[in-house]
Amino acid sequence: MSQRKRLLIVDDDPDFVDGIRSILEAAGYEVDAAYNPKDGFEALQARPCDLLLLDIMMGRGAEGIMFARKMRRDPRLREVPVLIITGIREQIAFLFPGQPVHPHFVPVDELVEKPVEPAFLLEKVSALMQAAEARKAKTQ
Amino acid sequence: MEDTPRILIIDDEEVVLDSCAQILEGGDCSVATATDGATGLRLVEEFRPDLVFVDLKMPGMSGFEALGRIQASDPTVVTVVITGYATVSSAVEAMKKGAYDFLPKPFTPDELRLVARRGLEKRRLALETIALRREKEMLREHFAAVVSHELKAPLNAVQQNLFALSQELSDRLTEGQRGRFERMRSRVDDLLRLIQTWLRGISADVGKIREGFRPVSVASVMSRAVETVQPHATRKDVETVVSAEAPLSLVEGDEGTLTESLVNLLENAVKYSHVGGKVRVHVEEREERVLISVSDTGVGIPREDLPFIFGDFYTGKGSQAAERGHGLGLAISRRIVEAHHGTLSAESEPGRGSTFLICLPALKAGLRDRPPGETAVPADLQKGGATG
Repeated sequence: MSQRKRLLIVDDDPDFVDGIRSILEAAGYEVDAAYNPKDGFEALQARPCDLLLLDIMMGRGAEGIMFARKMRRDPRLREVPVLIITGIREQIAFLFPGQPVHPHFVPVDELVEKPVEPAFLLEKVSALMQAAEARKAKTQ
Repeated sequence: MEDTPRILIIDDEEVVLDSCAQILEGGDCSVATATDGATGLRLVEEFRPDLVFVDLKMPGMSGFEALGRIQASDPTVVTVVITGYATVSSAVEAMKKGAYDFLPKPFTPDELRLVARRGLEKRRLALETIALRREKEMLREHFAAVVSHELKAPLNAVQQNLFALSQELSDRLTEGQRGRFERMRSRVDDLLRLIQTWLRGISADVGKIREGFRPVSVASVMSRAVETVQPHATRKDVETVVSAEAPLSLVEGDEGTLTESLVNLLENAVKYSHVGGKVRVHVEEREERVLISVSDTGVGIPREDLPFIFGDFYTGKGSQAAERGHGLGLAISRRIVEAHHGTLSAESEPGRGSTFLICLPALKAGLRDRPPGETAVPADLQKGGATG
């Protein structure tokens, strides 16, 4: 890594964020967190990160989905890989009936369920970032 | 009906229409009339009546046809037929087609008012039932969503931190401390699974399962289910013995939920087995039915309890209190099996063990399951995990 990769976690449960953050920091990532979608989006716009970890059920409902859709409309943020971390798989399916477990919010994304095993989390994070970089290299 | 009830009258005789409208309009409701079936049907769409009177004998579209098409467009609209020729048979036929009542001509104003009042009452009850059912459904789903978030979120946070902490402290923990971490994680895991199961019991919608039906191999359902319970069986030194009688047809179903229902049976069999016992899973085909049996040699079920074991929240009052379940496994299993047009039954002899039998209709069209020699059941599972 020429430069430390910067990750942003958007999740309304600070305790859960701590449990994720320490795993990611121990693996050498720089980690920021926002505890509501509004702060999260502002942080993202101020400085796009290398990967976003996004919760779905925040605030009054599935605000994480609105968040991801808003990102998709923003040309600067469209390419940021998103790892969705959610406790509620069945609700995702409920929101998007007839679709696979999760719809593709952004070109590269993945969904993992809470709680997530450290090794599995790190594997997903690095795979997503590699895929994003490969795509970037291709378009340049 | 919050607003004034609406009544539509379809009759080819304008005299009848006029007098009916006059009689009914006095009674706090709005009335529309049509002189033929086609106009009547259009008014059903536009006027949205609660109650429709249809004359059976009309030129053009018959009253019977109009009746059928009103039912098709909105089954909650209450229909009453007016029979010009007061024959019982045509009234009966109309009632068979879904008419709520009939009014033989000639009728007095009071008779008309009475039939109208009864029809509107019927409509009010029908709408109320629908509203209540919808409300119940929403409560159920809402409850499931709230529970799943409010109960699971804190546990997820705890579990996530246990994961992180045991990793961060890995080089400092003693063997005993590591073991305690492991147990905390497994206890939280159990709790998360328990919540999941309860939610499943609340929201298991059998109708939804059917949407994803496709031909399924019972052999692969069996091997997946056995694989799932193997750790539990091994821990308890219970041997699992899998056998299959070829040839087997496929069944029409959903592999995931079928596996879930079998896992529940197997978990129970292991749970109520004695240490060192044996659980047998066997599949065979008889008269176009695929039969999967799960037998144990455990504590059995008291005869007086047998009728209740498939109800919600039944748990065995077995001697092994530590192994008490959540009481939903069998209820969920039965719901799943019944969604597959199958049956789930049980036999038991207290002190000797129990046998549960899933019976599923075999899929025809010559679709054959793999012979048992090629099933995905790994050899070590077939022999069972008695080594643990």
